[in-house]
Amino acid sequence: MQIHKYILPYLAAVLLLSCKKFLDVQPQDAIADDAGVITDKSSAETAVRGLYRALSDNAYYGSTFVTLGYLCGDNIVWTGSQSVIQQFISHNIRADNANVASAWSGIYATINRANYIIDKVQAVTDPLLTQDLKNQFLGEAYFTRALCYFDLARTWGGVQITLTPTTTPDDKYGIKRSTAAQTYDQVLSDLVAADSLLPATTNRFRATRKTVWALRARYHLYRQQWADAENYAGKVIADSANYKLVQPYSAFFANNATATSESVLELSYSTTYTNNHRNYWQPPANGGTRQWAPNDALLALVNDPAIGGNRSSLVAKTAAGLWYGNLYYRSPATDPAYTIRIAELWLIRAEARAQRNDLAGAISDLNAVRARAGVAPTEAATQANLLLAIENERRLEFAFEGHRWFDLVRTGRAAAVLGITDPNKLLLPVPAAEVLNDPDLEQNPGY
Amino acid sequence: MKIAIISWIVLLPLFTYAQYQDNITLSGVIIDAQTKTPLPGATVHLKNTTHDALTNDKGEFNFLTGQHLPITFQVSYIGYKQTEVTLNQRTGIVIGLTAVNTQLNDVVVVGYGTRQRKNLISSVSKVNAAGIKDIPVAGVDAQLQGKAAGVQINSNTGVPGDGVFIRIRGATSINAGNDPLYVVDGVFINNTSLQTISTGGRATSPIADINPADIESIEVLKDASATAIYGSRGANGVVIITTKRGKLGTKPSINFNTSHGWAWAPQLWDLTTGPEHAMLINEFYKNSEADALAAGDQAGIKKYAQLPFRPVADGGRGTPEEQQTYDRLHKLFRTGLLHNYNLSVQGGTPTNKYYIGAGYTQQEADIKPIYFNRASLKFNFDQNIGNKITVGTSNSLYRSFRNQARSGDGPQGGLLQSALHTPTYLPEVNPDGTPARYAGFDNLDVLLNNYDVNTTSLRYIGNLYAEVEIIPALKFRTSWSLDYNHYDESEYWNNLTQLGAAPTNGLATSALTQNTTWINEQTLSYHKTFNNTHTVGILIGNTLQSNIQSTTAAQGSGFPSNAFKLISAAATRTASQLWTKANLASFFGRVDYNYANKYFAEFSIRADGSSRFGANHQFGYFPAVGAAWRLKEEGFLKDVNPISELKLRGSVGITGNQNGINNFAARGLWSGGAGYPDNTTGGDQPGIYPLQLANPDLRWEKTRQANIGLDLGLLNDRIGIEVNLYSKYTTDALLQLPVNAISGFNTYASNTGEISNKGYEVAINTSNIRNSRFTWQTSFNISGNTNKIEKLPVPVTYYNRDWVKLQQGYSMYSFWLYRQLYVDPETGDAVFEDVNKDGQITVADRQIMGSAIPTFFGGITNDFTFDGFDLGIAFTFQYGNKVYNLNRFFGEGGGTRDANRVLFADQLKRWQKPGDVTDVPRLTAYGNNYTLEQNSRFLEDGSFLKLSALTLGYTVPKRITSRAGFQTVRLYFTGSNLLLLKKYSGPDPEINVTSLQNVQGLDLGTAPQPRTVQFGVNVTL
Repeated sequence: MQIHKYILPYLAAVLLLSCKKFLDVQPQDAIADDAGVITDKSSAETAVRGLYRALSDNAYYGSTFVTLGYLCGDNIVWTGSQSVIQQFISHNIRADNANVASAWSGIYATINRANYIIDKVQAVTDPLLTQDLKNQFLGEAYFTRALCYFDLARTWGGVQITLTPTTTPDDKYGIKRSTAAQTYDQVLSDLVAADSLLPATTNRFRATRKTVWALRARYHLYRQQWADAENYAGKVIADSANYKLVQPYSAFFANNATATSESVLELSYSTTYTNNHRNYWQPPANGGTRQWAPNDALLALVNDPAIGGNRSSLVAKTAAGLWYGNLYYRSPATDPAYTIRIAELWLIRAEARAQRNDLAGAISDLNAVRARAGVAPTEAATQANLLLAIENERRLEFAFEGHRWFDLVRTGRAAAVLGITDPNKLLLPVPAAEVLNDPDLEQNPGY
Repeated sequence: MKIAIISWIVLLPLFTYAQYQDNITLSGVIIDAQTKTPLPGATVHLKNTTHDALTNDKGEFNFLTGQHLPITFQVSYIGYKQTEVTLNQRTGIVIGLTAVNTQLNDVVVVGYGTRQRKNLISSVSKVNAAGIKDIPVAGVDAQLQGKAAGVQINSNTGVPGDGVFIRIRGATSINAGNDPLYVVDGVFINNTSLQTISTGGRATSPIADINPADIESIEVLKDASATAIYGSRGANGVVIITTKRGKLGTKPSINFNTSHGWAWAPQLWDLTTGPEHAMLINEFYKNSEADALAAGDQAGIKKYAQLPFRPVADGGRGTPEEQQTYDRLHKLFRTGLLHNYNLSVQGGTPTNKYYIGAGYTQQEADIKPIYFNRASLKFNFDQNIGNKITVGTSNSLYRSFRNQARSGDGPQGGLLQSALHTPTYLPEVNPDGTPARYAGFDNLDVLLNNYDVNTTSLRYIGNLYAEVEIIPALKFRTSWSLDYNHYDESEYWNNLTQLGAAPTNGLATSALTQNTTWINEQTLSYHKTFNNTHTVGILIGNTLQSNIQSTTAAQGSGFPSNAFKLISAAATRTASQLWTKANLASFFGRVDYNYANKYFAEFSIRADGSSRFGANHQFGYFPAVGAAWRLKEEGFLKDVNPISELKLRGSVGITGNQNGINNFAARGLWSGGAGYPDNTTGGDQPGIYPLQLANPDLRWEKTRQANIGLDLGLLNDRIGIEVNLYSKYTTDALLQLPVNAISGFNTYASNTGEISNKGYEVAINTSNIRNSRFTWQTSFNISGNTNKIEKLPVPVTYYNRDWVKLQQGYSMYSFWLYRQLYVDPETGDAVFEDVNKDGQITVADRQIMGSAIPTFFGGITNDFTFDGFDLGIAFTFQYGNKVYNLNRFFGEGGGTRDANRVLFADQLKRWQKPGDVTDVPRLTAYGNNYTLEQNSRFLEDGSFLKLSALTLGYTVPKRITSRAGFQTVRLYFTGSNLLLLKKYSGPDPEINVTSLQNVQGLDLGTAPQPRTVQFGVNVTL
């Protein structure tokens, strides 16, 4: 009995301990964030790379978000089997459209990653993580968040603003939608922060101070703040040593080119991280699905030497005579996401100058882009004609990049060009599942 | 026998001289009282002695005994009534046993033990393996269809060895598994597919690795008192598979069985011809142009101005009359061959028994190029060491090879997309002679000639046990078990296929997955009867289980030519690795008591600790209590002869579920694998990102189940009726709950849902006729289950286009659709129900319309024997389930998909002119007719009655076979799926495109189940 007195509790303790140990299993392909993950230089820099991977995810700049910009325009015809695509082309988008939902959650996932960095990096005490590096990482996070809210605002109007990392499932309930103006204000505030933190270096794959200027130029254009738009576009254009219109047009994408001087911000892909775009564009003969293709109107324009010039390299034809878009073509699918090109800044400045009645300046900027495409200088002479010429130039210059829809909406031309009579249709529907899930998220009117 | 004799000699001095004088042989034979056939393996016991003997293969027994006459013999044999006779003779004894007509006296395997059915408290269905093993589906799970009450089983595809839908008493879970726990000879085996490559959404069944020929019996445990001993894995029921083990003291018996046959699809789809297709498309253009004009849509007017099928000279595709019709379906579908060989030896000495089995099965699907083959080796052995110790082992080694192909969703490599969904007017080859590809689908000829996707599963399931009788009736058992599966997949798409075409230039994938489960288990059991009235059983035990699954996969593209197939030759290579592990520590106990075989009570509990859950909720406790009352033993029924058995049963308990969720679902995780360059020259550098939100409160899903049952035997048990009513209620359902996307996450693992299942089961077994020449038995079962999602905070939708929606208050597997009320005979436009009456059809008007869950289902089997002939006819049926016909959805696109999809012949029934009454609306690109996708028009009734198996056998008379040295020779014919009565317009309503568990009854691109016939011979030496 004496023995039992000692042995039994001992056995019980050993059993319990070994049981506890037996039941403690750790993953090997992920780490638990129990003790915080961003704690040193290495974790901070890997988290920032993870942020860019979110930005370049297929839900966002990888493809889906970009497709919203061109499918909703007037350049594309639906040639596949998924009628969610047809909804964009016929401007009859339903709230349960899966691509809209995918873009929405892709953007907010990016915001959450940025919020993590903004929240954690400043407090890290690792001698290797210098203040300069911290500033760079924070600046990149602010820039990315600015781009996210900018994209949300121009697609859906005012949205819910979240500025902290999500740690529990109910963290982000109880947030009302901000107005469009408030959302744009958040964009500007983040851009200003990024401007002060980032160095004025050149890195086409990541954000620098010059990338911030480029996005600010676009921002002010959308906000119709013409002087600021002209100013910031000019700051980037002025750096002609690093940013120039490459000759010919196709030089920025053809022959597997990456990171040419054309690119101000170009998101990078690899065999590990591929980009869905080519799969939608390329015909089956090239291993794609050709879900959509350039429509007859665009083909006529782009193949007209006087209008499209050497931009005809954007389209190609199969042996069977099917036209397809050829901006995204690489195999493996590593086509970059051309997020901000220098051509855009020329056209932003052209438009801003035209709006400010600096017609000569506008014409010269527009002609810079036209000259690169191999077409004659513009004949537009009045402000109105010039603005129209810039609009048409943007249509071709960014035919398969995500600009056309947003351009027509911001200039109020969607009704005239696309025949959209219901102003509610100028904003996309908030994903139905999100409205259902979050009582504070109101649907856009008309959906 | 030698050892037995020696032991008697040793005992001899104990007897008196007079007894020694009497110590001579007792001999005789045990036969079936009606058929007069000898019964080998029957136990003969001399009352009030310790003498036991087993009959040999001729039914004969021999004793050396000192007992005085008269001697009382107690003879028992499985399936027969235990008989006691007192005889005054020593030799030439003939004792006839009467067969028990129902299963009431069967020994039924339950968790960690066995019970006689008459003493059973819980609800257990026993399936005799002999009756089902010839049905040519690869897995025993599919063979069980219609055989066990309360168990709904559907093969979802005609691909042999593919996953099977199985639900025992309804679906209890949304995100955790709904499949039962499979226990093979005490080993908890993996039944989650290890497949990683795409075969169009389907998944292979790990159960198909097991050779049905090695199986002795299958028990399905259904109520809480049966399953709670399996604790956290019992909520979906338990399937216990017992393999053959030989018999002590029997001569080696060699059995050889082979069968060969054919499999083909009994029905295909009815498609439009080329001219019909063209005519419909032209009509679509005409109508659309008119609608565009009415709407003032300039782009539309332009687009639809010219008919596409106009003379080639005008730039068209040729007039409708000029179109050819190309039949692709009959190129794809074939008559597949079935081959099956099984060889086994079983027997034993007085101290050991063994079973050795080997098998080979090859099954071709009804479509090219899919086939399945399996080789298996089985070795079971048990050895007694003295009187107290038994050691034994079970070993199974399987190799399943699958020649795979994509038969399901997805355009690339999809066989039925290519054969069924390509418009019939389009030729197979381009004008230049190259293979033609349309609409994103592969060319069928190219696919059939170049498909190179296969899987090899190597699997070992085995255990080693030792059992010691410490004191009489107290047994200790320890066992070590292993389920190891090596799953090797390879895909090669050469440059002729779409996936491998330039610029990819060949695409190869190789994936190696290993799944290892080891189990260590100890039990201590005590079972004793006191004073002939009180029987007590006690069981305690523990289990340690560990599961590791890892996958290493590589992919390569850019091959020099089609001659190079290994990734090492590829220009671009990527690799990935997965690893996951879960441990489970369990303690369990059970106490059962019965008073005079009249009143029964049982209590069991299991405590399961799982590494999957947070520290606060690692352990779950699962108790159950059951009771039964055998009224037949009461005085008032004892002499009521027509009623031979009457028992009431009841049980209530809690079981759990933790299957199917990620092993680290409770943890907040950051993942690697989000690399990005730092600059334009350095390439990708490692990156991390928040992958998953933590939920430290994640815990077991619990299902509370109450069961009441009645067992009734009538007319000397010639009629056996079992009725069960049950109610299951699942709380804390494991659910990937959607979280608002602004959080940056989509879902998190939670315990939110509640689901109820209520149902009934009736099983009736009758022995209609039984005489020495002719027997006729019938088994019938019917079950119904009502499933309801009682609590779900947010509705969840599944599959692209959100066909399926789970919503509180509705049944699971419900379809979410726009209800097409009718087609307006005046305009030809489809009219949809405007649920919210706002004058327009929006998402708010989508409604839940029916579910893939049947109202009732079951089976009826009739078995006849007449002299040497035997005939088995088994029907299965299912009623009230809905199937969404996605093939028709695509095939009746009204022209909107133009050259991209086939048009089904039903499209010809479209509205054409005012006054036409039809449900197929006017062809147009405008309005809702063909653009409102989730149209209820394609939701069909999936009820069916199927002749699932018909077997006719002839056993050659013994006087002929014994001359050739055979014990038995049986020739047989088996047909399956010979008759299918259905309303469904597709080939087979028993179908599903995906292995996603919450999506059922979606028919798209899947090979229908084959009709098969086989001829076979079974020889026993």
